Amino acid sequence: MSKHHKKPSAPSAPKPQQKKAEEKKAKRRIILPSPYIVMFVVVWAWAALWYGDTLHIAREFSFWSWDSTLMYYEKGRPWGELWQIGLLLLQLYRWPAVGALLLSLLITGGTYLFGYCLRLRSWWQLLQYIPALLYMSYTAYLGFDLYFENEAGRIMGIPFLCFVVLLIIALIIRSFSKHHRLPPILRAQAGENWKLSSTYLLAVVLTVAVPMLISQLLRPYVRVTTKMQCCMERQDWAKMAQTARDHAEMSYRPIAAYYAIALVQRGEIATHLFDIRMDYDDVYIHEFGGTLCNVGDYYMEDCDFYAGLVETSIHHAMENLTMNGPNLRALKLLTKCALLNGEWEVAEKYFTILHRVPFEGKWLKKYEPMLRDSAAVNSDPEFHMVRLTEPVHDNFENNFEQPAFLGYNAALLEGRSINALWNCLAVHLYSKSMPQFIYRCYPMRGTTPPESFAEALALMSSKQPELMQNFLGLEWQREHLARFAKEVKPYMKDRAKYARELFPKYKGYYPYYYFFGNLKATKRQEEARKSSSSGVN
Amino acid sequence: MKRLSYLLPLLLVALLMAACGKKKYSIPAKSVEYEEQAVTYPDYNDVTIPPNIAPLNFMLREKAATELVVVYKGDKGGELVTGGGEDLKVKIDTTEWRALLQANKGADVTVTVYAHMPGGWRKYKSHKLSVAEEDIDPYLSYRLIEPGYVLYRQLGLYQRNLTNWTEAIIYENTRTYEEDNNHCINCHNYQNYSTKNMLFHVRANHGGTVLVMDGKARKVQIQGDSLLASGVYPSWHPKKNLVAISTNKTGQVFHIKHPEKIEVMDEASDLLLYDADKNEVRVVLDSSTELETFPCWSPDGNWLYYCVATDPIDHTLPDSLQSTMMVQYENLHYDVKRLSFDLQTLQFGEPETVIDCSTRGRSASFPRISPDGRYLLYAEGDYGQFHIWHRSSDLFVKDLSNDSIYPLTEANSPDVDSYHSWSSNGRWIVFSTRRMDGNYTRPFITYFDSEGRSRKAFCLPQEDPEQNIMLLKSYNVPELTKDAVRVTPSALRRCIYDSDGEKAKYISR
Repeated sequence: MSKHHKKPSAPSAPKPQQKKAEEKKAKRRIILPSPYIVMFVVVWAWAALWYGDTLHIAREFSFWSWDSTLMYYEKGRPWGELWQIGLLLLQLYRWPAVGALLLSLLITGGTYLFGYCLRLRSWWQLLQYIPALLYMSYTAYLGFDLYFENEAGRIMGIPFLCFVVLLIIALIIRSFSKHHRLPPILRAQAGENWKLSSTYLLAVVLTVAVPMLISQLLRPYVRVTTKMQCCMERQDWAKMAQTARDHAEMSYRPIAAYYAIALVQRGEIATHLFDIRMDYDDVYIHEFGGTLCNVGDYYMEDCDFYAGLVETSIHHAMENLTMNGPNLRALKLLTKCALLNGEWEVAEKYFTILHRVPFEGKWLKKYEPMLRDSAAVNSDPEFHMVRLTEPVHDNFENNFEQPAFLGYNAALLEGRSINALWNCLAVHLYSKSMPQFIYRCYPMRGTTPPESFAEALALMSSKQPELMQNFLGLEWQREHLARFAKEVKPYMKDRAKYARELFPKYKGYYPYYYFFGNLKATKRQEEARKSSSSGVN
Repeated sequence: MKRLSYLLPLLLVALLMAACGKKKYSIPAKSVEYEEQAVTYPDYNDVTIPPNIAPLNFMLREKAATELVVVYKGDKGGELVTGGGEDLKVKIDTTEWRALLQANKGADVTVTVYAHMPGGWRKYKSHKLSVAEEDIDPYLSYRLIEPGYVLYRQLGLYQRNLTNWTEAIIYENTRTYEEDNNHCINCHNYQNYSTKNMLFHVRANHGGTVLVMDGKARKVQIQGDSLLASGVYPSWHPKKNLVAISTNKTGQVFHIKHPEKIEVMDEASDLLLYDADKNEVRVVLDSSTELETFPCWSPDGNWLYYCVATDPIDHTLPDSLQSTMMVQYENLHYDVKRLSFDLQTLQFGEPETVIDCSTRGRSASFPRISPDGRYLLYAEGDYGQFHIWHRSSDLFVKDLSNDSIYPLTEANSPDVDSYHSWSSNGRWIVFSTRRMDGNYTRPFITYFDSEGRSRKAFCLPQEDPEQNIMLLKSYNVPELTKDAVRVTPSALRRCIYDSDGEKAKYISR
């Protein structure tokens, strides 16, 4: 041993400065959760809580069955086998929380494998979140195009394909490369490079935040509409109406259409129709092949059905079936129509088909016992409301302005119930066709009309004073109207400009709608009238 | 080798499973007699069948049953014992079935169904299958499309081999939607039950009439300024390359409260004659007061039968006083008339009334003459011409030898019975009917005996008897042929896509 060799000295007590630095270092040693675990949770939250209703409706607009006859045309399409797998996986969205588990697993797993396959390290590892970010952002960007007249199989099919391909590549790499070990998934990020670790987490958060932002800013109507559709499926009419009212300033046709359905079912069409804005901003929606399509196609068959036009609903559901192939939404609607029509054999056919679709037991349990039981059909609350507004006489759709559920109700001369009359009057108020409205109000003479009708009658009483005598309770409405007229006078010169500003104050008040609401449609209708073409808004 | 030795047991198991795949059924030793016949889907009880038809697979409609055994016993000998498991579907071996039917031509086969119920085996009352002497033409072509709406996408013409389960595609529209290529196809028609010469129409994109002659396809445009519209309902002349074809201004309207859902009406219609060799077209009938449609040649080619109605709209009145066809649709009644045809001069004679339906307040459509020329088969309903949507529509025949008219009661149903065609030997009729569920048309086959009487009709058999429930499309325009279509779908696609179609030359009368 060298004499120069020093004996190891006992560790000396750290100096105060050193201690401070170590404490600081320990503080930096924050235990951050694994980004993959965080990603799994936040993607699940996005796919279940934020976009769950939308993806559930995507499932309803699509179809998967074990039966080869039913899947014949689906299989024969380009990538048909892959989309079939996608559609099968989408079935889990019967329950959004469950479907989201799988989607999150595929997205998170794909992200992890992407990083592994490209051997991304350190700051480069941030790149691994890009595919997930792009996929989810594109999903949000597509809006209704994600599933309406488009291939819904890609929702789960694309992440599934990516996951499988990456998994195979990863297995090959893992089998042939000794030095390329799989990075830990569950281990918390306790590294000293806390900046990097927290940036990973930030990337995870951004991966979810960006698509949320896109859907909120570019396609705000999608989540609201699909939430309402989910309410309709559960027949939660109150929540359906409330959802529209909660977004009353959002003005899109699908929201207004489903809101009207909720009101019809709740018997509130005469009192609450004008609680939401109806100026109708454009909706991004395309049909097969990428051509812009009429957004009305999205909700037409539902509106026909709940307006009592069962045959017209069958017509549109069949067109849907023709263009999109089998889909749950059309098949369920056709089944309901067949039950209402007493067409038991074809209802039985649809039930048999729906038995071949996974997870439809609850729906079948509700409707299948109604087969060959007219009393059960008529006593069902939903069907009862449809029955109340069914046409009294046959006619041809072509004799009414389009869309038929508005055109028919506008032309209604004889109805089965007061509900039919209310629908008719509401349509006339909606299309501001006041002479027809007043004419059809006469059966209510001597009574106090429902609120919106009373407001409209009071409005018209300046031109037709006799209305004040014919209906009760209009005096107060006249006073209210006078106040309104005084208040809005400064805004009348540019109604389009001030409509939105005035909406929060006057929402639900018919004279406001008459002067400031649905101005685009009013203009279109005036132009249409001038050129003698038909169309109800 | 060591690794392979592990595979051997697996191979053995696979072989064993394959051997066990086909279950042997035996007649239950003990069973309780049931006095009713088994309720099956489709209903094949007591029907007359061709000896070359594919097995009549069916399923038992008895929820409590868990297994079934079916015994087919021929009067002339032969026995076939088969059965079904929990799905209660009977899928008969094609070879055994064929042997049984061939051995029992002109005789009956007794069918006894046993169902395993919770209390033991139940023996249903037996029913008969009468095996005719005469075969049916082995090929049936049809269009598959959703039941009659405005839009179209995944539709096609198909040909089924009736002796087995093969269904071949004649031509299909694009499986994926293509805005610039989407088209409709309809009205396929053959000359003399042979696919040597055939045609069908293409509508919308790539529109035209596709003619296949001697295996070569070409597209033509049977339309022009002098014609009402393009050609619609065709009929090949049996001896010459001439096609009688109607030209129709057709529209369809949708009921809002009616079990018949749709009404298809012609605003105007005329008859044309198209010469396929010369690509020339000329008008046969174009009366302004009458609606002529559904031409059909007699088998000798000397007569052209067609339907005709008086236009219910008085076009001489000012527009404001004219009622529309939509109002008048129930007053539209078609008769069957015919024109003589000179094969040498190609000239037509004067119209003769063959069936006067309108005076009875009824309406006739789709006249079809039996191959022996004796019977005129047509559909009769309360009004209109597109009987495929009319529940009142039934099949009728007129015996041209004695002028008697009668319905094919045994073959008809309370629901729609309409579009029909003969087999080349005149003993079988295939037709479209909505009797199964009131909505989706299915092809049914009936025997037509030498006395002019039909039998209970039966549904086109399918390998999976549930196929008719699962299929969300209607069978449209079923036509029998003696041979398979000779041109491939790709050749037809090339013809449709690559050619604008040669315009037929208009020749004045």
